Amino acid sequence: MHDNYKTLLKNNGMGRAGIGLILLVLLPALAAPLLSPYLPGEYSGSIFAPPSGSYWLGTNDVGQDIWTRLLYGARTSLLIGGGVALLATLTALVVGGSAALCGGLYDQVVMRFVDALLVLPAVLIAILASAYLVPGISLLIILLASLIWPQAARIFRARILSLKEEGYISAARTFGASETYLMVRHILPLLGPILSAVIVQHGRRAIFMEAGLSFLGVSDPTLISWGSMLQHALRYTYLDVWKWWMLPTGLLLSMTITGLALLGFALETISDPRLLPAGNR
Amino acid sequence: MYTIADQTGDWGMPSPYGHYPRGPGYIRMSLVFDTLLWKDTKGLVPDLASSWQFNKEENSYLFTLQKGVSWHDGQPFSARDVAFTFEYIKKHPYKWVDGSVVKRVEVINDHTVKLVLNKKYAPFLHNIAGTMPILPEHIMGNIDSPVTFRESVALIGTGPYKVVDYNKQQGTYLYQANSDYRMGRPIFDRIRFIKMRQEMYATALERGRINAGQVPGEIADSLRQKGFTVLAGPHDWVAKMTINHKKGILANRQFRHALAAAIDRQALVDICQRGFALAGGNGLLPSDNRWFSKVTDDDPYDLNRASRIIEGLGYVKKDRFYEKDGKLLQFELLMSGSGQRTQGHPGEREAELIRDQLALAGIKITLRSLDPKTLDAMIKNWKFDLALSGHGGLGGDPASVNRFIGGKSFNSSRYEKNKQLNVLMQQQTGETGEQKRKKLLGEIQELYAYEMPTLPLYYPTWFWAHDNSADLFYTNQGIAIGVPLPLNKLSFVDMDN
Amino acid sequence: MGKIKILLTYLTAFLLILTLCFILPKMMAGDPLMALYGDEALVVMTPQLQAELIERFALNKTLFEQFVAFWGALAHGDLGESYAYNAPVAEVIVKALPWTLLLVGSAFIISALFGILLGIESGSRRGGRLDRSLLTCLMLLNGFPDFVMGILLLLLFGVLLAIFPLAGAVTPYSGETGFSLVIDILHHLALPLGTFILVRIPGIYLLTRNSMVMQMEESYIMTARAKGCSECKVRYHHSARNSLLPVLTLIGTQMASIITGALFVERVFSYPGLGNLLYESLLNRDYPMIQGILLMMTLMVLVINLLVDLLYTRFDPRVAHA
Repeated sequence: MHDNYKTLLKNNGMGRAGIGLILLVLLPALAAPLLSPYLPGEYSGSIFAPPSGSYWLGTNDVGQDIWTRLLYGARTSLLIGGGVALLATLTALVVGGSAALCGGLYDQVVMRFVDALLVLPAVLIAILASAYLVPGISLLIILLASLIWPQAARIFRARILSLKEEGYISAARTFGASETYLMVRHILPLLGPILSAVIVQHGRRAIFMEAGLSFLGVSDPTLISWGSMLQHALRYTYLDVWKWWMLPTGLLLSMTITGLALLGFALETISDPRLLPAGNR
Repeated sequence: MYTIADQTGDWGMPSPYGHYPRGPGYIRMSLVFDTLLWKDTKGLVPDLASSWQFNKEENSYLFTLQKGVSWHDGQPFSARDVAFTFEYIKKHPYKWVDGSVVKRVEVINDHTVKLVLNKKYAPFLHNIAGTMPILPEHIMGNIDSPVTFRESVALIGTGPYKVVDYNKQQGTYLYQANSDYRMGRPIFDRIRFIKMRQEMYATALERGRINAGQVPGEIADSLRQKGFTVLAGPHDWVAKMTINHKKGILANRQFRHALAAAIDRQALVDICQRGFALAGGNGLLPSDNRWFSKVTDDDPYDLNRASRIIEGLGYVKKDRFYEKDGKLLQFELLMSGSGQRTQGHPGEREAELIRDQLALAGIKITLRSLDPKTLDAMIKNWKFDLALSGHGGLGGDPASVNRFIGGKSFNSSRYEKNKQLNVLMQQQTGETGEQKRKKLLGEIQELYAYEMPTLPLYYPTWFWAHDNSADLFYTNQGIAIGVPLPLNKLSFVDMDN
Repeated sequence: MGKIKILLTYLTAFLLILTLCFILPKMMAGDPLMALYGDEALVVMTPQLQAELIERFALNKTLFEQFVAFWGALAHGDLGESYAYNAPVAEVIVKALPWTLLLVGSAFIISALFGILLGIESGSRRGGRLDRSLLTCLMLLNGFPDFVMGILLLLLFGVLLAIFPLAGAVTPYSGETGFSLVIDILHHLALPLGTFILVRIPGIYLLTRNSMVMQMEESYIMTARAKGCSECKVRYHHSARNSLLPVLTLIGTQMASIITGALFVERVFSYPGLGNLLYESLLNRDYPMIQGILLMMTLMVLVINLLVDLLYTRFDPRVAHA
């Protein structure tokens, strides 16, 4: 099965492009110390130096090398994106799925709880969290995941509700299949396309939200991430620096998300055999 | 039409009780309401009062008022309005004036009024006569809740401009010249304040969309080349590292000096403020302040001295950091992201640099970022080791120095241990002789530097750019109680006429 | 489940959420006295002023007393007085609401329409040239956070090309009326609205397309085709109907983030709206204002969810029996 996935992914143009893009970001991030002579926190150059041989993307408002910070920032952003996407999707799946399968009062109670979470503004939660808990990357991942999952829970619930009534699933139920069995064996595979879309959206929202919260000054600004880089760069848009500070950061962000999205689509094709072209069946 | 850009926009209804208690709110009100006295580049000038006399025995001030002044609704202004105002603020305090200083007001005749004080109060002319907007008795007389009084008649003053519109949502204000103004001729037919992000000001100035606005230091030169005037402001705001001087080793005065010597304040200015600031001195006041005096204990950057002090306190260096009884010399430094606060407010950039500098001195710092108001609350409740904060108000009457040292607010050092310092602070507010007062303030700065309960890091430099259609200037010791903005209403009034 | 039962759960949820909206803001460190009067060094905090402010901000009352007062006032439809604005909360909200509705409402409708339309067209021609180019374009768009998109548009069209205004919702005091006022408002609306639409379309598009792709392969679509239904009818009548369920949910849940979601765009373009208002109120610890806005958001979310729940039954009759 796994080998099959790999070969299929290799044969899929979109999948190749997606993996390529992600590797293009991931590998330099991992090899950051080899690709840059500076440390991300090092005040190595003069302030707002334009791009040059020694500073490929120039320096920022305190004379740190932007290229170096971009590399190290990729680590944080990828970690946050990946961590939050998995945590939030899992939570949403469990909550949305159980609500759809159990139905009744449980469904109502859980969904109203989800509504409550949707109403509370992220900024309020972030302010509360920072006052009572010591910030750090793991707290940030949990915080973002808890802010992001409710939307998807409603989506999963809706999808499972309609899948539940499909003829063959009702049939399986009449043969005595348990709800868990139904969920894992029949429903989960059918969720594939939506699942991958949701994971991609979650990764994207997590990376964005991290940026947004630091834009508002309620995230941990000492984390070296693309979000905090964008936030700092945005303050100096009246100077030329945005061209080699904000633009590369924004483009890299966009590239990563696009890579994730392409990969998501490729996986969708593979996970749902009905959608495959005739030759691969 | 004269247009002034502002980042925040809404500063409250431009009436004395409607404006928010910040400098820009007062400015918007000051175009409409007059005070007894006002200030220009040199010092006090007449406003509603044409002259004033101090009676030392009685501790009272006699004001002779301008004749022929009328309120915007045509009612004549008289000494009764002045008396009414100072009685009214005893019931309904005006945020910027301590009304309890005025014991009683005597109306001598329609154009003469005497204010008798309760105690010796040196800042009276600046902080009360030069700050308190005079209220119309015929309107405010029967208003019991001035804060929620939002009718349009709440905007009737005697000032050079009348309010045409105030829009809270858009953050805009529109004023029209008061043609009946007696003390001069309003220069502009209309003045407006509009809301705009600061990053856009340079473009907006060049396109003639705005006439004036506060700009970042980096673009000052290019704006000057394009023919705009850029004014560098006086240093009114101080960025501080607040120290919990009630906790552990931080309670030790010597150790606080070691901290100060281990922080390169000039580097903070050069790197984090890109040179647009003045490095901090231990005496709290910046060197361009008229009450500044040089202190002996200024803790220049000196790592060796820092180590000597720390080792003298029994600490031993292991690896990179000092230890004592197996405990690491370690503190948590609180800060808030710099994006949301006053320009120059210390944030993550400053915190990171201080962390790195203190690490070189063997002191381990962990950073923790909080939302601004949470940070204020933690400082207020003494739930911190070190924290980055700051405040303005250095430019006005030096009575404020007392509040920053011994006041109860979170932006005060709240330091009461030095008895001599406490006595000196009491004396300086009662001292009306300028030279004597300056000497007292010199001693206060010396003692403050010696105790060093809070470390002044730097004083940011603020810039205003304008297109010369009005002659903007910085007021001597700030507008009214000390607002450090070049938006004095005298810039918009032709006084020679 | 009966309609009454559903309504009852919604009512309970409403009360619960409101309670949360009351308590959580008060748990933030700091109080309005400090937030509004604290860091302004020029305020002369006389004991008399302090006493008056404590009274006005109800800081001398216990949380329970405040809670009772809150519900009591709410029962009369009174949202209280804002601490920071010195004005009734309802009045402040009502004045900010039209701008948010104009910006977010139109962005919502336009992005949903385009997103769904493009998604259906793209999904039903899976693998075709149109599908591929749309997918690539929108995925690239998908990668920009709203405030970065906003700043980019502002720098490009506002600063460099000087086509659109730099800030605000109208030209202040230009004296425009009637038609030219409408043009002025649209002129100011263009960039923030464009930002909003560009960042919103991809999400809706991707979900619609995915869903659509699934549905196009379902047996009943084959049947419909075999029956000789026109391609257009198959696409929009049969397949899209079923694909729209998850999309509908997504749009429904996004409504909740209408106000907070608008925050970034509003800040970038200095656009007057509820997002900005909520943010300022949080920073000012303006409890009545926060509660008022949250109350409105709660109402909005619950009503929309209720509508979506009811719409499900229309779109997908199978759910009605669930």
